[in-house]
Amino acid sequence: MTTPLARALKASSSAHPLKRLVRSAGAMIGVAWLLVVVIASITASLWTPFPPNEQDFTAILTTPSSAHWLGTDELGRDILSRLFAAGGDALAIAAVAAAVPLAIAVPLALWSASAGRRRETVINRITEAVMAIPGVIIILALVGVLGANLMAVMSIFGILVAAGLYRVFLGQAKSVQSQLFVEAAQVDGGSPLGISIRHVLPGLTNTIGVQFALLFAVSLLVQAGLAFLGFGPPIPAPSWGGMIQTASQHVYDAPWLMIPTGLVLVFTILSANAVGDVLAQSADAPTLQISIGRSARESNRRAALIERESVDRSILTSSPGLLVSDLSLALDDGTTLVSNVSFSLEIGKVLGLVGESGCGKTLTALSLLGLLPGGIARTGGKVAWNGAAVSGLTESSLSAIRGRKIALISQEPMRALDPMFTVGSQLVSTIRRLQKINAQAARAEAATLLDSVGIVDASRVLRSYPHQISGGMAQRVAIALALAGKPELLVADEPTTALDVTVQAEILDVLRRLIADRGMSMVIVTHDLGVVADICDEVAVMYAGQIVETGPVTTVLDGPEHPYTMALLAADPHTIEGVVGRTSLASIPGQVPAPKDWPRGCRFADRCQFSNPDCSTSVSLLGRTAGRGEVRCVRAEELLLNATVWATEVDWESVALEAIREPS
Amino acid sequence: MFVPIFKRAALAAATLVGVSIVVFLLVHAMPGSPGKVLLGLGARPTEIAALNQKLGWNDPLVVQYLVWAGNAIRGHFGASLIDGHDIWSDMMTRLPVTVALAAGATLASAVMGIVLGVVAAVRGGATDKTVNTFAGVSASLPAFWLGIILVFFLAVQVPVFPASGYVPFNVSPSLWASSLTLPVLTLAIGGAAFIARQTRASMLDALTQEHIRTLRATATPTWRILYVNALRYASLPIVASVALQFIALFGGSVVAEQLFALPGLGNAIQKAVGANDAPTVQAVVVVATLVVIVVNLLLELTTKVLDPRLRAQ
Repeated sequence: MTTPLARALKASSSAHPLKRLVRSAGAMIGVAWLLVVVIASITASLWTPFPPNEQDFTAILTTPSSAHWLGTDELGRDILSRLFAAGGDALAIAAVAAAVPLAIAVPLALWSASAGRRRETVINRITEAVMAIPGVIIILALVGVLGANLMAVMSIFGILVAAGLYRVFLGQAKSVQSQLFVEAAQVDGGSPLGISIRHVLPGLTNTIGVQFALLFAVSLLVQAGLAFLGFGPPIPAPSWGGMIQTASQHVYDAPWLMIPTGLVLVFTILSANAVGDVLAQSADAPTLQISIGRSARESNRRAALIERESVDRSILTSSPGLLVSDLSLALDDGTTLVSNVSFSLEIGKVLGLVGESGCGKTLTALSLLGLLPGGIARTGGKVAWNGAAVSGLTESSLSAIRGRKIALISQEPMRALDPMFTVGSQLVSTIRRLQKINAQAARAEAATLLDSVGIVDASRVLRSYPHQISGGMAQRVAIALALAGKPELLVADEPTTALDVTVQAEILDVLRRLIADRGMSMVIVTHDLGVVADICDEVAVMYAGQIVETGPVTTVLDGPEHPYTMALLAADPHTIEGVVGRTSLASIPGQVPAPKDWPRGCRFADRCQFSNPDCSTSVSLLGRTAGRGEVRCVRAEELLLNATVWATEVDWESVALEAIREPS
Repeated sequence: MFVPIFKRAALAAATLVGVSIVVFLLVHAMPGSPGKVLLGLGARPTEIAALNQKLGWNDPLVVQYLVWAGNAIRGHFGASLIDGHDIWSDMMTRLPVTVALAAGATLASAVMGIVLGVVAAVRGGATDKTVNTFAGVSASLPAFWLGIILVFFLAVQVPVFPASGYVPFNVSPSLWASSLTLPVLTLAIGGAAFIARQTRASMLDALTQEHIRTLRATATPTWRILYVNALRYASLPIVASVALQFIALFGGSVVAEQLFALPGLGNAIQKAVGANDAPTVQAVVVVATLVVIVVNLLLELTTKVLDPRLRAQ
C-alpha cells in the first residue's frame, strides 16, 4: 500500500502500550486481580483467620461456612488461609522464573544481532539444540538432583526457556537495527554492542514487558504442575499445585475442594496472560488487511443497499467504454482518500493515471474491479463498463466481470503469483474457470497465452514455481493470467515499476501489441511520464486524491496547464533532452500531504511555485484553455498566457564549474 | 538436498549426545548412590560402598559414561533400582501409552485449533472475539485442574468415561479408547487454544498477501481462495505449531498420567525421580529427547515438502 496511507493508518492505531492497557477492560481487571493477589499473599500472616497448618478434625472437608469462608481440606485446615499463605512463594518464584530467561535472552539477542553472521549462526544452532529438549522431562530430572527446591528448579528451567525467547528477541532486534536511525548511528561510529544497548534495547522494552507477563503465567503453571506431581514444598507447607492434588483425590466425596484453589490459580494466570496480550497488540500495530471473508461481506452489505437505488444505474446505460463518475473512497473512520474522481475512456484506448505515491491512483484503479482493501470503501460515485455498473455489486455479481470483462495486472509480479502453486496450475485453473473449458484445452490455451506474451520456453515456465522465474518472466505470466478470461479492459497498476529498465520496455511492447491485437482498452497507473508518452492516448493527472488535469497525451505533455503536471514534467528524466533550454532536473519540494492533512483549497498550493492567496479557495475542474480536457487550477489561464514554466533549481555544481573555467 | 539433511541429522545426534551427558551428570549429582538405593535404609555403609564399587560407581565419570553409552546404543539401559525390572523392556511397554496420549491430544488439538482459527480469521467480528476469548481462557487453564473438572462432570456426575486407569489396546480397543478420552481431552484443550491462535494469525497473514488479490481479480470463488489458496499458504506455520504442540504435550503427559493413573513414561520418570532411581531417569530422558528430536526432523522434512520455495534448495 502507498506509504502515506500506511502512515495514516498507523498513526491511528499505535497508541502507547500503557494507554492501551488502561483502555482495555480485560487488562485492567487483570492488573487489579494481580495487585489483590500479590498484596493479600504478602500480608497473609496478618489477616488470614487461621495459621495455614492448623488442623481441626471436627471440620473436615467442609464447604464454605462463616468460620471457614472457603471451606476446609481433608485435615480440617482452612483453605482461605492456606491459599494465601502459599501465594507469596508461588508469585515470587514465578517472577524470578520469568526474569531469568529474559536476563539471558535479551543480552544474547543484542549481542548476536550486533555481531557478524558467523556468531549469530553459532548461537542459533545452540538455541535450536536447546529448544529440541523436552523441557518438562528435564525439569523432573532436575528435581531429582535439587530436591523439591522450586525456586532453584524453576530458575534453571528459565535457562531452557531462554533459547526460545532468544529467537523472539533476535528477530525484533534485527528489525529495529535495520531501521534508519540505527544505521545512521553505525555510520557515526561506536561499538556495535554499545549501539545495540543505546538504540536497539529501547525498541525492545514493550516486548520485554509482553514476554515477562506471558512467562510469569507459564511459570505459575509449571510450578503448580510440579507441586501437583508431588515435587512442591515439603508437607505440610501449602502450595497451589499441592492443594489441587489433594482436591483430585476427593472428586467423589468433596468436589468443592477443587474450586477455590483452581479459580485463584486460573484467574492469576489469566490476568498475566491478558496483560501480556494487550501489550503485545500494540507491539505489532495492525496494517491494512485484505481480509476477503470480511471485506466481501461488508461490500455485499453495502451493495445490497445500493442495488436498491436502481434509478442511479439507469443513468449509466448505453455509453460504451469506461465511465468513472464522482468516485469517492474513504477509510472506515471517515478519512477521505479519493475525492470525486471522474474520467472516461473509449474502447481500444489507453488511459494513464499519473501522480506521485499516495495520490490515490492505485485505489482508483482497484475500485474499477471492486477490489478495495478491507477498511476502505466507496463512499460515492459510480464505475461502469460498457453501460453496466461495476460499482455497488455483490461479490457474486462482480465475479462475472472480474477477469472476463476487466482484468488486473499488479505492480509486483512476484508477489502477485501464488508461491505455493506452479505457473501451469495457476494458469490452467484460471482459464478453466473463466472460459469454462476442459483441462486439456485449458493446457493448450495456457501455452498459447504464454507464447503471446513473449515467453519462448512455455513448457518449462508452466512447470516452474513463481520463485523459479525472473521478475520480467513473472510479469509476463501475470499478464497471461490477466488475459485468461479474454477481458475487454486491462487495469495495470504500475506494471513496470518493479522491473529492470530493459525489461520495462519489453513489457510495454507486449502490452501495446496485445491491446492492438485484441482490441482491448487499458487503464495504466504509473508515476513514469515516459510510460505515459510511450503507450497512452489519454492521461489523467492525480494529486492528493483528486484529478488535477486531464486530456489527450500530446496536449497534456506538450502544454501542461496545471503546475503539478508542469512540476512532474520538469522532474522527469525522460523529458530533459526534449525540452529546449533545460539542463537540470527539477524536484518538487515537500511531499504529498497525508489524507487527513489535505488543505481546504487547492491541495497542491503548499508545494506550488505559483501559489497566491487565491489558491486557498476550493477549485473545480474546468475546461482546458487549449485543447480537449480539464484542469483544476485558478491560475491556469494566467500561467498559460505568461508562458510560465516550472523553475528548476539552480544547478550550483555547473555554476561552480563555469566559474573555475572562466579565468582561463 | 542431501547436505542440509545430513547437517540436520548431525545436529540432532549432537543434541542427543549433549542431553545424555547433561543427564548423566545430573543423575550423578542426585543425592544417594545406587548402593544406598538398592540396599535400603537399614544397610551398613561398608555394604553400600562395596556394592557401589562393584557397580562401577567409583570409576572415572568418563569411563562410566562411555560404558553407559555403549550399552544404551544396544538398548541396554540396565535394571531399575526400585524393582529390578529391565528398564528397556519396561520403557517399551510404557512408550506406546505416552505416544498414544500425546499423539491423540495433538490430533484433537490440531482439529479443534485449526477449525476454530480458520473460522475466527474468516468470519471475523463477534465470532473472532468469541474464539479469541475461548483461546485466552483455555490457554490459562492448568491441565491438571481441567482434568479434575472433566473427571467430575464426565466420570463422576455422568459416568461416561472411567475416572482413571488404562486398558491396553490389545485387550480391548474400545475400552482403550475410552480410558484415553479424558486424558486426551485434558491435554488437548490448552493445545487447541495455542493452535487456534497460530492458525488465525497465519490465515490473516495469508489473506493480506498480494496473490490473494490476483485470485479475486480472476473471479476465484471465495471458498476456494480461503480453503485452498490461503490455507495452503498458512499451512507452514500451522504445521510447525502442531509439531511444537506434540513436543509440549509429550512432556505434559506426565501430569495427565499422574491424574489418570496411566502407566506411561511420565509416570515412570515421576516414580524414578521420587525414588532416586538413577538409571531409569537417565533412560527415560534420553528416550524422550530422541522422540522430540525425531519429531523435529519430521517437521523439517514436512516443511520442505509443503513449501516449494524450500523444496528446490
